[in-house]
Amino acid sequence: MSAGPPVGRVVATEALPAGPHQFHFWTATDTTLGIGAIIRVDAADRSVYGVVVDGSAYSDLASPLHDVIAAEGDPAGAGAPTRRTEIRLWTAAVLRQEPEEPVQPVPLADVFAATEADVEMALRIDGYARSEPPTALPVGAYRAAGLRAPVSLDADFLLGPESAHLNISGVSGLATKTSAVQFLLGSIFQHFPEHKGTVAAVCFNVKGPDLCFLDQPADLSHEDLELHRAIGVEAKPFERVSYYAPFKPDGVNLNTLRSHPDLLGSVRPLVWGLREVLAFHEVLLNRDDIDAKADALLDFLTDRVVEKEFRDDWGNTHEVKSFADLDQLFRSIFNGLEQTGRGDSWRTHHVATIRKVRNRLLNISTRCKGLVTDDGTVSDLPFGEFEDRAIYVIDIAGMDQLGQDLVFTRVVSTLRERLERQDLGVDHVIVFVDELNKYAPADGPDTYVRKMLLDISERGRYLGLVLFSAQQFRSQVHRRVVGNAGTTVYGRMDMDELATPGYQVLSPATKIKLATLPKGELMVRHPHFTQPVFVRFPRPAMLNGPEGLKRFPPSADVPFEEAIVRQLAAMDRRASPSRIKDVIAGRREEDVRRALLVTRRVRPDDAVAYFTAALGPVVRSQEIDSTRPATTPLRSVEDPYES
Amino acid sequence: MREALLEAGGALAAGTSRSRLHLPPANPFATARQVEASSTRIIPVEPAEPLDSAAFLDGIQRYSIEGWIGLVPVVRGYAAAAVLQRKAAELKPRAVEREEFLAVELDRLEPKARDALESAGLALHDVGPSDERRHPILDIHRAAQVVERRRELAERAVCSSFLREQPDSWLIVDGSIADYAESPDRAHRLVGLVKSHETQFLEGPDLQAALTLPAGHRTTVFARGAGKRATVFTWYLRLWPWEEHDLLHGLVRVERKPGDAAVEEATQVSRWILAERAPLTAPDGRWDRLVYPIQQVETYLRAQEVEA
Repeated sequence: MSAGPPVGRVVATEALPAGPHQFHFWTATDTTLGIGAIIRVDAADRSVYGVVVDGSAYSDLASPLHDVIAAEGDPAGAGAPTRRTEIRLWTAAVLRQEPEEPVQPVPLADVFAATEADVEMALRIDGYARSEPPTALPVGAYRAAGLRAPVSLDADFLLGPESAHLNISGVSGLATKTSAVQFLLGSIFQHFPEHKGTVAAVCFNVKGPDLCFLDQPADLSHEDLELHRAIGVEAKPFERVSYYAPFKPDGVNLNTLRSHPDLLGSVRPLVWGLREVLAFHEVLLNRDDIDAKADALLDFLTDRVVEKEFRDDWGNTHEVKSFADLDQLFRSIFNGLEQTGRGDSWRTHHVATIRKVRNRLLNISTRCKGLVTDDGTVSDLPFGEFEDRAIYVIDIAGMDQLGQDLVFTRVVSTLRERLERQDLGVDHVIVFVDELNKYAPADGPDTYVRKMLLDISERGRYLGLVLFSAQQFRSQVHRRVVGNAGTTVYGRMDMDELATPGYQVLSPATKIKLATLPKGELMVRHPHFTQPVFVRFPRPAMLNGPEGLKRFPPSADVPFEEAIVRQLAAMDRRASPSRIKDVIAGRREEDVRRALLVTRRVRPDDAVAYFTAALGPVVRSQEIDSTRPATTPLRSVEDPYES
Repeated sequence: MREALLEAGGALAAGTSRSRLHLPPANPFATARQVEASSTRIIPVEPAEPLDSAAFLDGIQRYSIEGWIGLVPVVRGYAAAAVLQRKAAELKPRAVEREEFLAVELDRLEPKARDALESAGLALHDVGPSDERRHPILDIHRAAQVVERRRELAERAVCSSFLREQPDSWLIVDGSIADYAESPDRAHRLVGLVKSHETQFLEGPDLQAALTLPAGHRTTVFARGAGKRATVFTWYLRLWPWEEHDLLHGLVRVERKPGDAAVEEATQVSRWILAERAPLTAPDGRWDRLVYPIQQVETYLRAQEVEA
């Protein structure tokens, strides 16, 4: 069982006893062990696996004053000819005992550096890596004392149903949170066991170009390739990645940093209309605005009006599918009330409430311009047709907080509904969201987004909806959201953060190690690991944001006409710019945008021909008979909410 | 009082209160023959100069009274000695001897009792004949002397063992080397470091010079009175200032086997020993005279003793 000579020996005194959960051992001063190293204690009838959580060194110097006297007060004086006897005393936390019962104090026996098999035993990986069928998902490599051993997580505990969710904390730029998630997603896609069904990921790119180049290969060093091999994850970028981004307010340039001409064709617009947005009015409307009366009107509109044939009280039939249709309905109501003089309410809703709701709703398309359109055109994620091992990146980095909240809420809610109905297209969806402290803060108002995240974290695992989240400061995130993450990962941490109560269980040495972790090294807590374990992961095989920007610099925004040409050309290389310009010449911009959206959604072989057909024939303007009476202007209507 | 002492040309002591009388030494006086000078002179030896490669020898002993057979005490003894060699400031064991035994006055035991003790699995060492008249304290004292002799034997054994392997290595022994009967070719780098001064070899101005040596100084070399023991060359060396302590504070006596080299190398050897003031062996009560490597040999032997 012993792969090498002992590296230490367990010691116990009355003041420092060996317990069933913690023990102490000493090593030579030039040992290769350190904080986080896994060790094995071998006694005749018992093996104990532990992880080093603390260490100290001291000599037989009884008082610092003795050193001063010996040096005659001169630190620079001649050194002592004999080095004082020194001890390296380590504290280890027990990971596993074999046999597990009866639970007993650690025997006072020899200590060995862990072998690869020991690491597997210590972390209980043998239970799921060697089960039939196996459910192990490589997360990185344990490295200590010259050993490199793969460490895996249990799919049943990472993606449900036993437990689920992953949360990663660490300071920006040094903790490599995004890289860790990318690597883990790659590992999941390569190792997720078939018997557990299908899996896809939805990633929200909330800052810069972080997730904009997941399909582009990175140049990896020999060391990174070696580490990939050792861990058992093939070094390749994601094969199936779909990008979604809303438009900028101009309605034609996509609001993403993945706008290089070579990549722009692979980004699909994210455009929603009234139907998509109305159900999430709570996200968009200020709580102060939405009193019980306004809420009742909104419910009425959602249940009885939108997407239905609705007959108002004046004989007009409305089919409200867009904000424009909704505005038409409101105008009709106001007109009807004015003309019939029926007082100040319509179907129990006070006219002031109607005006307020109208104003707030119609304002949404202005506030979320680029994402929400007035005209009902929609370009959405392929809910119902999600593919196995595919990543759907939604780039909301360029949006304001309100727009980000809306996108996040609607996408996650729809995923949840679809998973409940089992018609998403896959059995499991991993939702990755960075800056979790923004969406589920520990303090502040109880927002719709936070409530939804709580719901996912507490019930998502039964549905296959798994939250991978990241933030700088775990202490600033709602406790129940992070607390429900079965797997917790820490990169380089801030010392102030480590001083918060959430880290009290960590030893001071472990905290110091966390505060100085190099890039690519993480501390992992997982239900099977009784103690946190440090692992190293390679640089992911896909381009990171800054590299991607260097290789694929984003294009500057272009005028409307040029943007249409580029986007059609990106879909169909044969498209002639002059032909496209001819087609859109003199056409209304909203018509052109609508035709472009439809073309992008269908992605036909001949994009220009399809676009031309979608645009329809030119409708020539006609002279209107000037003798025809004009519409009688309305009497003054006070609208305190009109902006 | 202190001012008066200084005014009288005296030196201050520590002024430590004592309530018990010291027992007088068994052999308080012996003779000396000046070797390096006609009378004792004081020679400065600073600066200290560390000796990297050197070995250190020490021994330990203990005993316990396990019982009596009649009035004969049965003493269980343990004696051990070791040499630790220093290289690159690290001490490593090079020779170790240890023995656990019974010390009994065998003549006074019935054969049956003797057989029973032999079956205990420990070596039996005879305390030797004594007066007919019994005295329990003296009987135990005689048994303890056997333990001490076994320790001395162990020390000489490890010395021989080490010098056989490394005759050119400096070996610093805790205590006198007078009884180390090594051949001159092996003992030429043997150094004894004596911490106790029960026997005084000098007298008059020579003694005055020796006992008031300033720190970092040595006396000239003299030959120690032989008696039953072999002659050795020796000199006093002051490691720490004695003022405000007592006359023997920080005072060691260095021994070498007789020869010209002992005199020629006295200053150099003194410098090496002076360098051994660091690390300090405090809080050991003998810290002013006990050098760290010797203390480490003792610590090593005590640790071994626990495991024995």
